[in-house]
Amino acid sequence: MRRIVITGQGAICALGHNAADTWRAMTEGRSGIGPIGHIDTNLLRNNAAIAAEISDFEPRAFIEESRLPFLDPLSQYALVAANEAIRQSGLSFRNERASRTAVVVGVGVAGEETREGLYKKLYSEEIGRFHPLGIVRIMSNAPPSQISMAHGITGPTFTVASACASSNHAIAQAALMIRAGLVDAAVVGGAEACITLGLLRAWEAMRVLAPDTCRPFSANRRGLVLGEGAAMFVLETLESAQARGVTVLAELAGVGMSADAGDIAAPSDAGGAAAMRAALQDAGMQPQEIDYINAHGTGTVANDSTETRAIHQVFGEHARRLAVSSTKPMHGHALGAAGALELIATIGALRHGIVPPTLNYLGPDPACDLDYVPHEARAMPVRAAISNSFAFGGLNAVVAVRQAPAGS
Amino acid sequence: MSTQQEVFEIISKQAKIELDTIKPESTLKDLGVASLDAIEVIFDIEEHFNINLPNEDTDFENGTVGQLVQAVDRQLAQKSANG
Repeated sequence: MRRIVITGQGAICALGHNAADTWRAMTEGRSGIGPIGHIDTNLLRNNAAIAAEISDFEPRAFIEESRLPFLDPLSQYALVAANEAIRQSGLSFRNERASRTAVVVGVGVAGEETREGLYKKLYSEEIGRFHPLGIVRIMSNAPPSQISMAHGITGPTFTVASACASSNHAIAQAALMIRAGLVDAAVVGGAEACITLGLLRAWEAMRVLAPDTCRPFSANRRGLVLGEGAAMFVLETLESAQARGVTVLAELAGVGMSADAGDIAAPSDAGGAAAMRAALQDAGMQPQEIDYINAHGTGTVANDSTETRAIHQVFGEHARRLAVSSTKPMHGHALGAAGALELIATIGALRHGIVPPTLNYLGPDPACDLDYVPHEARAMPVRAAISNSFAFGGLNAVVAVRQAPAGS
Repeated sequence: MSTQQEVFEIISKQAKIELDTIKPESTLKDLGVASLDAIEVIFDIEEHFNINLPNEDTDFENGTVGQLVQAVDRQLAQKSANG
């Protein structure tokens, strides 16, 4: 079987506009959550006017001016992250490489800022003239299309949508295409720009937004806090990376996917456990080989206790020896981009031997009894790790990674 | 009709259970109203009375429907005080 490695990464989120700044903030335990700046929060109820927003972002510094009219923030974020990842990998897409490379991007919603802007004009201002580029900004496949256009990548290119598991499902699709020999490389990750008034109101109505902050696995946790951004990776075969003599960040060892086939919103321990088991099996790894889990850890009462039970079911006695953390209190819950941003954390843990912390932990909840690395990052060797994403709709996707193979 | 009767009728309709099985000391969980069904019950109550129930007043695990009725009464009182 072809072994797949990660040779480039890029990110933009509330913690920074590149992967290095994002990772540094994660090791420092810095939170990007704060009062929402760019929408009128008077129209929100239940005072949940917080999110992990991207700030001080000047798209012109990253993207050519001529391209910008076509881009919702969703695609801007995707391009910023993809450009960084491709630059780091050193790959260029000339000749056959162009058609032998895939672009797969996880997107949970779509170009919401553009959509809401147009509909506001129509419904509330009754202005009938729409900007002609609305559709190409809104469409959920805009991010992979823009990446393919910017880099001349002509292989399989599409969006994967599974709400909060979109990134991990996207990574799985890209990995499976490489393994099948359909392509030799992929630009893959997730993007989301979901901090809009309409979406926030819809989340509020579900009563899952925390009014204070995001405190995963903690006593008195009160829900999730939305985030936004993108993270992208370059995947290629180990053989290709070795032939090119480039630095391998980590090996993408396995992927696992499952559906709860139960409730549309309430999570299932059996479903999450099935995806974790499938990822381990796919990677050919035993539970004992895993040192760190980057948890889905949204901070809702239901997710965190259910995920804890699922981890116990899969890891047995070893669950007590695992470091488990949720980085969502730092970058927020970025829905379709969540798994990709969390892979930045997971790769960082493998490469640097530092496990990012779970912030805002107030104390133990009896239903959450694992080692959540509260408050501060921990230096410890991490040989292999998994990153969990569990979506509304009962869709689960888990990615297993391990340290770069020796000599690569 | 009292607030309690109105709230209980909304719950019975949404949860498809007999009205007389709902007691003030029941929790929505006891009544088999969980997850999004519980959120929908709260939404129906808000729509019916034209009030907003803060998250603090909607503890589906431990809060009783009697407490929910009190929360509705508090919001109604506040609404009439605000004119």
